[in-house]
Amino acid sequence: MNKQAIWAIAQKDIRGITSNSQVWIGFIVTPLLFCILLPVGLILAAKYMVVADQDLSAILYKILKNLPNGELKHSIQMLPSINHQIIFVGINFFLGSLFLMVPCLNSMMIATNSFVGEKERRTLESLLFAPITVKDLFIGKVLAAFIPVMALTAGSFIIFAIVADALTYSMFEKLLLPNTNWFLLIFWLSPIISLLTILFSVMVSAKVQSFQAAQQFGGVIILPIILLIISQASGFLILQPLAVFLIGIGLLIVCILFLWQITKWNNRNILFEKQL
Amino acid sequence: MNAFIKADKVSKNFGAHKVLKEVSFKVDKGKVVGLLGPNGAGKTTIIRLLNGVIIADGGSMEIGGWNPRVNGHEIRKMCGILTDGAGMYFEMSGAENLEFFAKIYGTYEKKRIQTLLEEFELAEHQKKKVGLYSTGMKKRLGMIKALLHRPQILFLDEPTNGLDPEGIRLVYDYVSRLNHEEGTTIFLCSHILHQLEDVCHSFMFLENGSILESGTKQELEEKYINQVTLRVETGLNIKSDLWNGLQVKNLGVKGFEFKLSNKGEIAPLLQKIAEESWIHDVHIQNRDLESLYFKIRGESNE
Repeated sequence: MNKQAIWAIAQKDIRGITSNSQVWIGFIVTPLLFCILLPVGLILAAKYMVVADQDLSAILYKILKNLPNGELKHSIQMLPSINHQIIFVGINFFLGSLFLMVPCLNSMMIATNSFVGEKERRTLESLLFAPITVKDLFIGKVLAAFIPVMALTAGSFIIFAIVADALTYSMFEKLLLPNTNWFLLIFWLSPIISLLTILFSVMVSAKVQSFQAAQQFGGVIILPIILLIISQASGFLILQPLAVFLIGIGLLIVCILFLWQITKWNNRNILFEKQL
Repeated sequence: MNAFIKADKVSKNFGAHKVLKEVSFKVDKGKVVGLLGPNGAGKTTIIRLLNGVIIADGGSMEIGGWNPRVNGHEIRKMCGILTDGAGMYFEMSGAENLEFFAKIYGTYEKKRIQTLLEEFELAEHQKKKVGLYSTGMKKRLGMIKALLHRPQILFLDEPTNGLDPEGIRLVYDYVSRLNHEEGTTIFLCSHILHQLEDVCHSFMFLENGSILESGTKQELEEKYINQVTLRVETGLNIKSDLWNGLQVKNLGVKGFEFKLSNKGEIAPLLQKIAEESWIHDVHIQNRDLESLYFKIRGESNE
């Protein structure tokens, strides 16, 4: 492994990413939407509304029913009002899956551009003529997307935690965030989802000719997260720490399969001929 | 002496299109070879095959004892390449581009980068973004990129496209010096044939994926030039189409064009003209590379 070359590629791409306005829009819009606007809307609505909606109560009941008996379930049931319960469940379960859109969307946005960008600028040829292995090139490209997205994810979580705690402290008289569930989301599931999205997008990017085509194919990766959001919102699947951990293991296995597929597919001459 | 670069019956197809058809050639170490031919003749494909970035469908190749199919990595370490598009990052400055490629090639030396920037007269533009460079500046930057790791073999694909006359001289002077001083083997692809005459030791003429002819200029001249066309700028007054038994054509202020059967007839002709009038300039018209190129292509198409 040529560490100097890998790091040079990653640095070069990160510099390119930070000077790309399209990427910056994603970097600003997704945290704004998923870490500020939606949580604030949800918390304020839950804080001040009079809960008379039968459907909402039914979902909350279903979520509580799906939780195993234990300290968490007990502590939710002991909360003084249904508003407290909605906020607690929303922050701990529902907003968690929404938050995953931040690493997922931004990883896709950056990684789909990785090889296609080189093709469109006619620089891939220069890289393939250089004495670096295609594996090193891929690692450099993956790092270039992974590092900024992880920084963004951590930053977004800090903002989200500040906003959520500021809005809920007066009700709960304690900080709801951070907690175990969120630690697992940020330090376990988010990196894995980000890596999975990047590997998939980089694979797509190496195979298609234009950025638009890469994004269309890459968009498929968001579907499981949308399913997760729907499952959470309907109370079908509740992301408790063990579930988060197990989902991570499952996705990590998919990542390894993708990596294995990448090393099989992308030899230099195939990659080269794809750009001609 | 064993050839440094060898190709034996190499073929390459892109889909149904045959880009190279059983091409064979040999190049000795330290030689400068001109690869000539129209667009689509297969020049760039040969460079790509030799570097192992695409794989031949048939035949074999060897470069410095390595096989591009299996030892591409070793080959790419010893080769420098200037592609037609130069392949630089427009959003980065000239110096940043060179630093990036130096790291990729594992030869990051600030001093080397600065020396080359000065050599190719880009030192004062090194902090500008490459997107703001002129075509010629991009080409010179591409040359520097190709030279960063002191390659043993240099592939230059249209190195003077977009360069002004000073730039062209700068590039070819450097190429000649590099070949003389460091013994670098150089492959030059160009459409501008007269520029290659003084730089290359030998030439390969390609058309439709086949090598029509190859050899040194002298070898090609002996094979293809069977009549000498001599232009003489003289005060001689010739009214007919024949002078002293030689065919002649009046070119006006440029003088006269004589048709001779071989070079041996030049000295006696000039002696006779000098007895009668002044001579200011004498030039063999049909021995330049361009004439040879058209002659070879013409004969192959007959």
